[in-house]
Amino acid sequence: MNAVLRVVRGLRSLLVGLGITGRHAVRAVVTLQYPHQTPDVSRWGGPIELVTFPETGTHDCIACNACARICPSDCFDIEGKRPEGAKKMRATKFLLDFSTCSLCGLCIDVCPTDTLQYSRRYDEAAYRRVQTVNDLLGPFGEDPYLAGKLK
Amino acid sequence: MGALERLLAGLVGDTIARIVLGVVFIMGFLTFNVLFLIWLERKVAGHIQRRLGPMEVGPHGTLQTVADMLKLLSKELFTPVAADRWTYLLAPILVFMPTLCVASLIPVGDGVPFAQMPYGLIVITALSGLTVISIFMAGWSSNNKYAVLGGLRSVAQVVAYEIPVLLSALSVVLIAQSLDLRQIVDGQRVPYVLLEPLAAVIFFIGITAETNRAPFDIPEAESELVGGFHTEYSGMRFAMFFFAEYTNMLVLGALGATLFLGGWRGPLLPGWVWIIGKAYAVILLMMWARWTFPRLRFDQLMSFAWKLLIPLAVVNLVATALVLGFVA
Repeated sequence: MNAVLRVVRGLRSLLVGLGITGRHAVRAVVTLQYPHQTPDVSRWGGPIELVTFPETGTHDCIACNACARICPSDCFDIEGKRPEGAKKMRATKFLLDFSTCSLCGLCIDVCPTDTLQYSRRYDEAAYRRVQTVNDLLGPFGEDPYLAGKLK
Repeated sequence: MGALERLLAGLVGDTIARIVLGVVFIMGFLTFNVLFLIWLERKVAGHIQRRLGPMEVGPHGTLQTVADMLKLLSKELFTPVAADRWTYLLAPILVFMPTLCVASLIPVGDGVPFAQMPYGLIVITALSGLTVISIFMAGWSSNNKYAVLGGLRSVAQVVAYEIPVLLSALSVVLIAQSLDLRQIVDGQRVPYVLLEPLAAVIFFIGITAETNRAPFDIPEAESELVGGFHTEYSGMRFAMFFFAEYTNMLVLGALGATLFLGGWRGPLLPGWVWIIGKAYAVILLMMWARWTFPRLRFDQLMSFAWKLLIPLAVVNLVATALVLGFVA
């Protein structure tokens, strides 16, 4: 009698299992077709980048090195120059070694001009270690302050 | 088919023309079937795991298996130095032969059969039992401990599960009073699955085990035996085992459909649509089970067959005989 009960219970559990997988089979797919669909990155904190302010069309880095001093991994390599007649410095070199960055965000918190932020880039890849060093000034081109176009 | 058959018959004579056409047609269909079933398997697996499965090659990935086959065709064929060479080379060819013979024996309609035998059911079960010999040949000749273990497990498993399959098929034979598959189909006013539900369940479990499919796939258990009997096979030789496995699924699914689901009988559509549709329904259930249940341990597998399925099948057979003898 006990054996019969065990068989019946076992059979029932098999049907329950089939029911669960069957339900999942008809429910909506949860994966993305990656190269065709990209994930929602609005809350993603990717590699650090410089903010572009809409008023000036450029960043506001004054090369104060506050980020470089607070960085626990020593990622930054920053140099600056003072445009003629200006009070504030402008960055002329801003390198961030992403291979040592732990994305802790201390640089973002400490930045006096709020010109650092997490980017939305999620697919960083490189073949060589030197390629992991990001030139944060790269996208900006010629600096309008240093060129004298902005005061 | 008709015109082609007449043309061929003029060249080589009636019987040979018929055999050639039949074999070409069946091989063509089986190849298409394997490509389709592998695609279907991956789609079923995908949707059960809430993915889409293959999507890139062709619309909804339908050409993925064609691409896979081309890849396998172009790969190098390895032969291990220590292998038993002739046995090793013969096994992938032999594994496919019995299934091809069985495929030609399943009736697909009332029309003129390609091959028919009064004892079709016995021939089919005997031939499908032969597959295991080539699996063991493959496992033994590879000279690899995993392959040998896979082969041994396969033999033990098929020997154990042939018995309940045969016993449950016999209870259908008792009702139909015939071993001829056509007469079994002709006799089914109602599908025998309604008269013999227990036999149908036992038969389904048995053919799942006989085709080495999960949860009974211990002969090729990837996690323990790195592929089991086909560990040492590469390229198209490996594909032949794959081919045989999926063809076996279709053939045994069609046999199940013939015995329990009324074969080619059905309203409106022609007979071959019904038999193929029913066979695919059985296969879909096998795939569903594969992606639901975990693999059994070897001793569980054996005790399940010998201590549960075979006694149940015997009881069912005797009960069927008694009911037929005294009540009907």
